[in-house]
Amino acid sequence: MSFSLDIKYAARLLFKKPLFTLLTVMIVAIGLGLTLYTYSLLNHLIFSPLTLNNQKPVIAIEAEFDYDNMRRPAADPIDLFRVKSELDLFDGFGIYSGGGTALISGSGKDSAARKFNSTFAQWNIFQFAGVQPILGRGLQPEDHFEGAEPVIVLGYKAWKSAFSADKDIIGTMIRVEAKATRVIGVMPEGFAFPAMAETWQPISYKNLAPTERQPIYGGVFAYARLKDGVNFKQLEKELANLNQKIVQTLPEVMKFRANSTGGYLKAYDYKKVYVLQHYPIFISMFVVVFLILLLACINISNLLLARVNERLKEIAIRIALGVPRARLLMQMLWESIFICGVGGFLALLIAGWGLELSNGVFEQMFAVNQQQPFWWQVSLDSEAIVVLILAILIMIVFTGLWPALRAMSGDFNAILRDGTRGAISKKSLRMNKVIVVTEVFLSCTVLVIATILLSTTYSAGQADYGVDTEQRLTAQIELPFKSYPVNRRSAMEAEQHKKRLDFFSNLKNKLEQLPNVNAVAFMRSLPGTGGGTKYVEIEGREAMTLTENPSWNIDMVAIDSWEALGIKLIAGRDFDYRDNSRRPTTSIISESLAKKYFPEGDAIGKRTRTVGIGYDLPWQTIVGIVSDVTHGSAMDVASAKNTAYVVQMGGMRRMTIAIHYLGSETMARKSLQDTISSIDGDVAAYHIQSYDALIGQPMILLSAVSKLFLFCGVMAVLLAASGIYAVSANSIIQRTQEIGVRRALGATDAKVMSLFMGQASAQLTLGLLIGLTLSFGAINIMTDTMIISHTSYAIGLIGMPLLVMFMVLLATYIPTRKIVLMEPSNALHHD
Amino acid sequence: MDTNNKKTEKRLLVEFKKIKKVFTTETVETRALDNINLTIEQGEYLSITGPSGCGKSTLLSLLGLLDTSSEGDYYLAGHQVANLSRDERAKIRNKEIGFIFQAFNLISDLTVAENIELPLSYRDDISKQERNTMVRESLKKVDMLHRENHFPSQLSGGQQQRVAIARAISGNPSIILADEPTGNLDSKNAQRIMALLDELHHEGATICMVTHDPRSATRAQRMIEVFDGKIVLDQSTDKLSAIAV
Ligand SMILES: Nc1ncnc2c1ncn2[C@@H]1O[C@H](COP(=O)(O)OP(=O)(O)O)[C@@H](O)[C@H]1O
Ligand SMILES: [Mg+2]
Repeated sequence: MSFSLDIKYAARLLFKKPLFTLLTVMIVAIGLGLTLYTYSLLNHLIFSPLTLNNQKPVIAIEAEFDYDNMRRPAADPIDLFRVKSELDLFDGFGIYSGGGTALISGSGKDSAARKFNSTFAQWNIFQFAGVQPILGRGLQPEDHFEGAEPVIVLGYKAWKSAFSADKDIIGTMIRVEAKATRVIGVMPEGFAFPAMAETWQPISYKNLAPTERQPIYGGVFAYARLKDGVNFKQLEKELANLNQKIVQTLPEVMKFRANSTGGYLKAYDYKKVYVLQHYPIFISMFVVVFLILLLACINISNLLLARVNERLKEIAIRIALGVPRARLLMQMLWESIFICGVGGFLALLIAGWGLELSNGVFEQMFAVNQQQPFWWQVSLDSEAIVVLILAILIMIVFTGLWPALRAMSGDFNAILRDGTRGAISKKSLRMNKVIVVTEVFLSCTVLVIATILLSTTYSAGQADYGVDTEQRLTAQIELPFKSYPVNRRSAMEAEQHKKRLDFFSNLKNKLEQLPNVNAVAFMRSLPGTGGGTKYVEIEGREAMTLTENPSWNIDMVAIDSWEALGIKLIAGRDFDYRDNSRRPTTSIISESLAKKYFPEGDAIGKRTRTVGIGYDLPWQTIVGIVSDVTHGSAMDVASAKNTAYVVQMGGMRRMTIAIHYLGSETMARKSLQDTISSIDGDVAAYHIQSYDALIGQPMILLSAVSKLFLFCGVMAVLLAASGIYAVSANSIIQRTQEIGVRRALGATDAKVMSLFMGQASAQLTLGLLIGLTLSFGAINIMTDTMIISHTSYAIGLIGMPLLVMFMVLLATYIPTRKIVLMEPSNALHHD
Repeated sequence: MDTNNKKTEKRLLVEFKKIKKVFTTETVETRALDNINLTIEQGEYLSITGPSGCGKSTLLSLLGLLDTSSEGDYYLAGHQVANLSRDERAKIRNKEIGFIFQAFNLISDLTVAENIELPLSYRDDISKQERNTMVRESLKKVDMLHRENHFPSQLSGGQQQRVAIARAISGNPSIILADEPTGNLDSKNAQRIMALLDELHHEGATICMVTHDPRSATRAQRMIEVFDGKIVLDQSTDKLSAIAV
């Protein structure tokens, strides 16, 4: 059949120019590979809804994400109860309080407490997820009742690691948070709903049927499915209305539940809440990759177009010989079918490899804190293959059909008659301009976004947090509630506080007496972690409205903690026993805070007070000034250079320890474990890691993304450079005859050069304007959650446009110069 | 009138002495012109004929400084051309030579008027106003004034060629070089173009036209026949027609 002949013909063309073929196939492979990878990644992490053995997606209903502190605030159970009972939209609804830890004391000789991710959930959680225990039973409504026996369902991992997968565990009593608790079930491997749960316990009945508001932070989250016939938009709308009502009824002391714009309860796609703080980076990644794909498409079609132009005479002859146009079109299409097909196959391999790497990154990211949501496991699925096939088809049309149609719209009679094409048509001229401008703005946008992201992630990775991290071991120290309770506003409260405080200072003293320990610090969040800001009044300078007050980060530190972290006391004094209080009245501030708000150098002795809705705190006198550190990851908007410290309060059950050790880290780890066990075996130390690992942890994702952006950036530069050159050169070569005519009419070399350089500059300007506008839009979104340094702005917004400018001018100068140096008669008869 | 003066003086405009042109490509060496001796006087109307590939266009390109000879001397209005710089050659093409091509070669994104203005805009001794009047005058001559704001693609082939002629004559060149000006036209339009060239000749223009149409060739005063890069015949057409009769 003629088909096979056409394919043979196309194959011969491709093999005749192996370099061209290789280049185009690689461009397609990388463009599609990146797209497929990013699509699969984002699909798993964000876009494909979590369904859990059910058709309908799971929805999260909770308090609005707190971007200032990069956290998911919990909602008051009474409000979620209202959502459940007043909105008749749900088919399945449950609450849980999450993010906590369960310290489980193992059985046998290895009795050190281990930490697992605990969830206090509503009994229906397993039915909702459609998963039943492999041993024993799930939760039941009775388990929630006041006075019911404490029960726990173990996750597979907890069962295996703490109880060596003992089949007789069901019904036995174990110690959970130092409290005797009966094991009632074991869940199958891999089950971790709501996200990373490793144990499940019944949530308190007060949360399930709340009768009054909770006057404290904390609270619950909800999962739900919508009833048939109800869509997400409807839920959002009705929830927004209800939210408004709820916010209005919040008593003054609980106004902290709502944010400054009145936002409180909100419905999210379930997966989305776990990426909200990375959302802009993921989206910019998608944008970058998509632009690279577009760039690749344009470059390929331009390359094919240039080839078609070379073959114009041959095509004219074929038409003259009577080959039907449709057939000719198909002949030209085979080439791009081949290129896109092979490229697409390679793309599959690239994407698969990238996803494999990503799983490694996730594993590393969550190795210490075990906070990996169970769906953060990416792979190529059938949906991705469908998307790939669609993308290949679109690409074939874009890269093949378009040049072919353009080629066939030429004036073939003229070509055959005098062997030249005649001057290029006005339409093609305009089309060429559009291509150049498109190439410029795409290149500019890709380069700006990619370099800004690259530079930002890179410099964040190099950030100086102001602390010494060598030979430092960090860990979370958590006291079990059972043996260290606090009953608020009771007679015992002060004593209970003291018991908690004593544990920590005891631990510090014992550790510091060891020969391999230099110094020990406790902070709620060590520099490099934590962050977030609160409004603070300065006495005598109180602002009229809350938000006009300065804001800074407030952290909590134990007495004598500076040395172990390499922080220097610059002025005043450290905290001592006099400062211990449930409501501290003294503070120590960072150097830059002192300079900024007390430029006269008179900070010490001044008084400040944390203010905000629901706060009622005493004035705090500044007693000392310490050197600057950065709290939070260096590129988070929640990170803070300005920090004020208050003394560790007795109420704290969990603190972060930093140990400046001598000798090996292994020894230091052992010292920590042994010392804790010697004081209280129910207390757990977890997330034990070096300080560098602690700081690096939030950066693992970023540095992986940064590497991806580096790759994208390099690809973008290559694609942009080769594309801009090919596009410009192609559009100029098509005007060879025009240059010949102009020179025949007496244009000097300089006149021709300046005309072409001028036109290129106009196209360049237009392209850069569009590109920079798009870039600004993207950067604007990025800055919601990212700090972009001045250097990054400079490189992106000045460096990249300059680079593009250079490339365009060079890509215009060289081909134009070449044609100008031809004899005019050659230029006139060029084809 | 000035042109009459020139006519009577019979000034020597072009002098080719032993001109050779060799094209070398990777595989072959083509002797396109071989020892051409040729003189053209002011006011002459000259036609060049010969079979395809004999070197007519090459000859015209050399005449018009669109290409350089491999050997020999070319004097234009008494000046040796070989020693001119690129810019000086451009200036001569602009002021002294008017080109008419077979493929019209109008620039597609410029209007009719802009196309004609183009060579004038390359001079710096003419003001914008003067240019406008020159453009309109030459458009009037080819009867295309009503289309001055059209783009070439909106015109027929004959109209395009008339515009091209207007562009060639707008700057009052010393010589008009036409390479198969009717090659892309039907006979009716071809007639009109030929009549236009006749008219220009009568007004005193020097014209050198390549054609392979014998009837067009005989409209010129003098006819040159090229064969295989050599001039094989150089005669006044009066004699030729006499012989034919
Ligand atoms: N730029 C060029 N390179 C190589 N050969 C050329 C070139 N231009 C013309 N020739 C060759 O020179 C000869 C004369 O060409 P030309 O002057 O165009 O002939 P014609 O009389 O048909 O106008 C031909 O054999 C042609 O192939
Ligand atoms: Mg010719």
